[in-house]
Amino acid sequence: MQNIITLIPVLAPLLLFSYALVAILNADSRIIKLKNTTQYLGAFGILVAIISAGLVTQYDTFQSATIGWNELGFSIRLDALSMTMFTMISLLGFIILRFSTNYLDGDARQAIFLARLATTIASVELLVLSGNLGQLFVFWVITSVCMHYLLVFYRNRPQAIAAARKKFIVARLGDLSLFLAIVLVYVSIGSGDLAKIFEEVQNAGFLSVPLTWATIFFVLAAVLKSAQFPTHGWLIEVVETPTPVSALLHAGLLNAGPFLIVRMGFLMSASTTASLMLIIIGGFTAMFASVVYLTQPTVKVSLGYSSVAHMGFSLLVCGFGVYSAAILHLVAHSFYKAHSFLSSGSTIDSVRAKRISVPKRRGSYLLIALSIAFSLAVYAIFCYLWGIQPQQDFGLMAIGAIIVMGLSQILTQTLDSKGTVKAMLQSAFLVIAVAGLFFILEKAAHWLLQSQIPQTNVPSMAIQMTSGVIVFCFVVIVLIQLAAPNLNNGKVGYMLGVHLRNGLYANVIFDRLVGSLKSSKFRWVNLTIVEGEDFKRQKASSLIIEKK
Amino acid sequence: MYQVKAINTVAEVKKVLENGVAKIAPLWSLENFVAVNPYLGMSEKKFSDAMDFLHKSSNTKATLPVEFYLAAIKNGVVSVSDISYALKGNDFGYSSDVEEFLEEIQMVKQVDDHVMTLADVADRSQGKKWSRFMVDRLSFWASAYFDTKQATWDTAKNQDSLFAAWKSEAEIDFSAEAMGLRDFRKIVKKLPGDYISAAAQALETLNVPAEALELYINSLLMKINGWAGYTSRIDWDANLEGKESHATEELLTIVLVWEMCIKESLDSEPLAQAWVQSKISIERLASQPFVDQKLSQQLVLQEAFDHANQRLIIDKINSQGTTDKPKGKPSVQAIFCIDVRSELYRRNLEAANESMETMGFAGFFAFPIKYVQIAHDQGTNNCPVLLTTAYNIEESLSDIDAEQNAVADRTLKRQVEKAWYSFRSGAISCFSFVSPVGMAYLPKLFTDSFGLTRPVPHPKEAGLSSATIANKSVRLDYKDNEGQLTGIPQEDRLKMATSALKAMSLTDNFARIVLITGHGATTVNNPHATGLDCGACGGNSGEANAKVAVAVLNDPKVRVGLKVSGIDLPESTIFVAALHDTTTDEVTLFNVGNIPSTHDQDVVELTYSLKIAGESARKERGTRMNITKGNVSKKVLQRSKDWSQVRPEWGLAGCSSFIVAPRSRTSQLNFGGKAFMHSYNWEKDTEFAVLELIMTAPMVVTSWINLQYYASTVDNKTFGSGNKTLHNVVGGLGVLEGFGGDLRVGLPMQSVHDGEKYQHEPQRLNVIIEAPIDAMSKILKKHESVRQLCDNQWIYLFAMNKHGKVVYKYIGNLEWELLPIV
Repeated sequence: MQNIITLIPVLAPLLLFSYALVAILNADSRIIKLKNTTQYLGAFGILVAIISAGLVTQYDTFQSATIGWNELGFSIRLDALSMTMFTMISLLGFIILRFSTNYLDGDARQAIFLARLATTIASVELLVLSGNLGQLFVFWVITSVCMHYLLVFYRNRPQAIAAARKKFIVARLGDLSLFLAIVLVYVSIGSGDLAKIFEEVQNAGFLSVPLTWATIFFVLAAVLKSAQFPTHGWLIEVVETPTPVSALLHAGLLNAGPFLIVRMGFLMSASTTASLMLIIIGGFTAMFASVVYLTQPTVKVSLGYSSVAHMGFSLLVCGFGVYSAAILHLVAHSFYKAHSFLSSGSTIDSVRAKRISVPKRRGSYLLIALSIAFSLAVYAIFCYLWGIQPQQDFGLMAIGAIIVMGLSQILTQTLDSKGTVKAMLQSAFLVIAVAGLFFILEKAAHWLLQSQIPQTNVPSMAIQMTSGVIVFCFVVIVLIQLAAPNLNNGKVGYMLGVHLRNGLYANVIFDRLVGSLKSSKFRWVNLTIVEGEDFKRQKASSLIIEKK
Repeated sequence: MYQVKAINTVAEVKKVLENGVAKIAPLWSLENFVAVNPYLGMSEKKFSDAMDFLHKSSNTKATLPVEFYLAAIKNGVVSVSDISYALKGNDFGYSSDVEEFLEEIQMVKQVDDHVMTLADVADRSQGKKWSRFMVDRLSFWASAYFDTKQATWDTAKNQDSLFAAWKSEAEIDFSAEAMGLRDFRKIVKKLPGDYISAAAQALETLNVPAEALELYINSLLMKINGWAGYTSRIDWDANLEGKESHATEELLTIVLVWEMCIKESLDSEPLAQAWVQSKISIERLASQPFVDQKLSQQLVLQEAFDHANQRLIIDKINSQGTTDKPKGKPSVQAIFCIDVRSELYRRNLEAANESMETMGFAGFFAFPIKYVQIAHDQGTNNCPVLLTTAYNIEESLSDIDAEQNAVADRTLKRQVEKAWYSFRSGAISCFSFVSPVGMAYLPKLFTDSFGLTRPVPHPKEAGLSSATIANKSVRLDYKDNEGQLTGIPQEDRLKMATSALKAMSLTDNFARIVLITGHGATTVNNPHATGLDCGACGGNSGEANAKVAVAVLNDPKVRVGLKVSGIDLPESTIFVAALHDTTTDEVTLFNVGNIPSTHDQDVVELTYSLKIAGESARKERGTRMNITKGNVSKKVLQRSKDWSQVRPEWGLAGCSSFIVAPRSRTSQLNFGGKAFMHSYNWEKDTEFAVLELIMTAPMVVTSWINLQYYASTVDNKTFGSGNKTLHNVVGGLGVLEGFGGDLRVGLPMQSVHDGEKYQHEPQRLNVIIEAPIDAMSKILKKHESVRQLCDNQWIYLFAMNKHGKVVYKYIGNLEWELLPIV
């Protein structure tokens, strides 16, 4: 009986796969019928997700039997984490599929596009539903392959091919890391079944040497999947393919990194080395990318950097050991980023709306300090109300510190200006509301996911120290921004600005390594630029003329 | 060694730069995206010569591929007589034998012979696309330099002039060297600081022979055609204000310097050899016209295609019965913009209510204003880009308290929004934003998807309450507003009113209601949204201009003055401002509360007719959007709210003729929303002042629009903006296609092509004017630039006789040819 229930969520990816198959088989004919079914397909996915999530609340975590060999094969795990991700992807899948039906209307290869999109969504769904390591690995690789085909949708675009080459290298290294991690876990524990692995690790209470190595490889896999510095170049170039792909990638696929870490949370939390790696890589990337974001004058590229930053932040939070907060951030970011990409055509509207004149900033350090103090006070009150203990909840405290600094940004803009009291009151209210929301949502996420994530515990000294350094850097960056109206861009500031706008040249160096200026390279994986422009469209138009 | 005469005096270098940049058409920002003739700088050349020049310099396509025209011949769209007409007196040496010509087409292959700049030569000799890298880097820098507040942190020295800013950045930017251009920064550092000397140095190093310079320089500019257009617009604006600006020359210098840097940095003998060879071929190209025979065939075919189109239009006009039907006094006179989209709506409106009369006039209604929105301190230029604004007009509310509240509210909202934005997008603070607030985007994803909400508020309405939006009006009172003069002085109002009415040929027989209808478009999530707004209002909605026109024409003092100057405007005539939404075909009346109650019944009837007309207009447009089933009207409406819609409306696609005549000449005809229409009655036009105005302004503007569509269709890569699904808004001013490359100009592929066929077929504009040919010749003689448009075949000009038949075709050199009678 349970086995049958666990198969319910599989209906969604199955239907997506069959849709893709039909689309590819009919790629050359008119696809109006197919397009009309697209959004119902998405809606069905949401329905399946709701039913499955309902089942989990009813029966709690359960896992299907594995169809395969030696507990590696195909099995579905229904629990709070997989359902959260599954529901999120279904919702996004609906929006993105629906969006693509009109957006790519008239493209000669729209059917192929929709097919690739559906396949990708289905693969991500099966990835998060994995009940064993074998399936996890297979769909980890498949999602990356699907993404590749979406990325090279327009094969005549050199920059798309350059991005695909870079992604190819990064993705294969990531696959290799995950493979090594999985082999180590399988060999140590003797099972690929997630439930068994989690039980084993929780019972042991510590990690053997091979398992510690496994955590390190998990971290590497996640870092490579989520485009952390310096491997982020391909991600910002994904704008070479239609907007819905960016939405899906940034809101769906990129999440696989932090998801993997949280999925393996019971292992990860026991490994100081892995946590340190997450804090350092994630923390640096978060800082780097969120500052570079400020310098980018093109909307989609800036959004790309923003995603890199948010993935870094999620991994950092994983490093702090607050997995619930990491998932909260991940899910919230997905919806935010999907919306940002799909609505990126509205940028001109936003720029036009900026013409409304606003009161100037004063640049008074006293008022800036006051804003910070106010945010700090709000934060302290919430901590007190929530009964947070600094030692036990170290990670949460660290995240809280970052949140507070961010909040002061809202208040400074109005308090330190020649504007009205009303504006100041409104921003003060926003500060309280945002802080409150954070604590409520974090609590909710924790309550939801508690069965799937380890208890937070007092981290080691090394982690505390490293976290301290990272948080300190974050604080400094915020302070510089708050004081920005008073700072004049001197020579150093100018040079820094130019280097940062260039993403510290990580991408251009990677470009040279993959020969992005050369047409034919990587022939063995067919990553050669197809010469000729819009060949498909031309063909389509001439066909119609003949028909007339 | 290959040596040429050096160009080294400042004056010589300056001349080279000046000649080069003069060929680049200006490009307006997407904030007010106005159509521009992309061949603007070439109009002193003949159409075919300009096409040949561009083809040689930058491999620009002059027409669609031959297959398109052959298909048109096969389908009978183009007849043998059209081809034979095009062959008659061709400049390419083809005999007039059509059969022979068509046979020859099959034999001739396209020759890929065009200028190779140094970077292009380096592509071949090094196997690496240096030319692409150069354009990408230049565009990357320009995006930051010209950014208008899209990035939070300005990192390019945009307070410095172009060349200086570029130089300081290139001195520290490591990218070129990282890619393999050795010592790039060192080479840049050694350059002189002023752009002319730097250009001189680059020209000396590149050593291009004088005969090859024109093509070579154009080839460089066409590589960055988009940014060059943008700088050219900066120069254009400065020029209108009488200031000096050399932005495009500086940009050209930067490309020249790039070429030099690539040469010096790669420093290879094979490259130098190849460069010498390339210069020899540029010289050869410069000396031989139509090196590519295919091009000349394409041009003949294009002319045949144009001729076929002319035939149809002229037949349509000439084959109708008598057109001078006596008409009583209309119940309403509705004035619309000359825009092709008005043609469709006007026809439907007249069908909905036979007692209504419609007219066409440039959509700014001869009121060139700078319009300042509530709580803004900068205004937008609501007038054709050929003009400068004469008056600052503030948006206002009739109730002073309400207005003050609206200003305070809008400022407050914007300030809090700005604070919120800096929180959302600040470094680090973005993390505090996403965790608690990101989830709120889930419901928004759904409401935006279903068109219930807009992704961001419309800039015209952002921060205003719905009551304010409904009551917005304009303030005419002339006063000094903190050092800025706003409003229109009383004496000027009368002058403007008189000339506007005369220009509209509307000086008697006034109806009880005269509707002045501006137009705008409603689209969502569309970077090119303003391109669908009114071009005559400078890429803005025509709302403000209509309101100003109405306020002036309803002004009692103005009316007294009009009577004195002989325009008898009855007291019972009321002017009403309205807006025609071209995406939804809904017409909204403004400030209805101000209309006296004596006209209540008229307004009720008018509103009803507008509604009926909207319904049928949408149905008509639905067929062109391939919407045939279900509630067509509703489906068309939905497009205006759909954030994923890349073809909310067809805009001006298909525009192919401009008819200047009284409405009675065309009122029985259906032009399918593809004709510009200007109401004009030459018999009322003493001394042909109005005709002169029409031929020098609307005629030029309609040709700009037509040629923009032409160019975006025949070579979307060069003069269009490519694939909309890849658009990446840059600097708050334009789009890139994807990650890099040049700033894109013109229209997206989606705006001219529906996936199956071209919705805009390449046709040069046919201007048909009802006026004596002598009068027209006189005007052409007086205005050299207008004459060039006609003489050089950028447009075709026809004359209509006083029976409403098209009888003369202008054949250049101030001569007219009598058309064969059908």
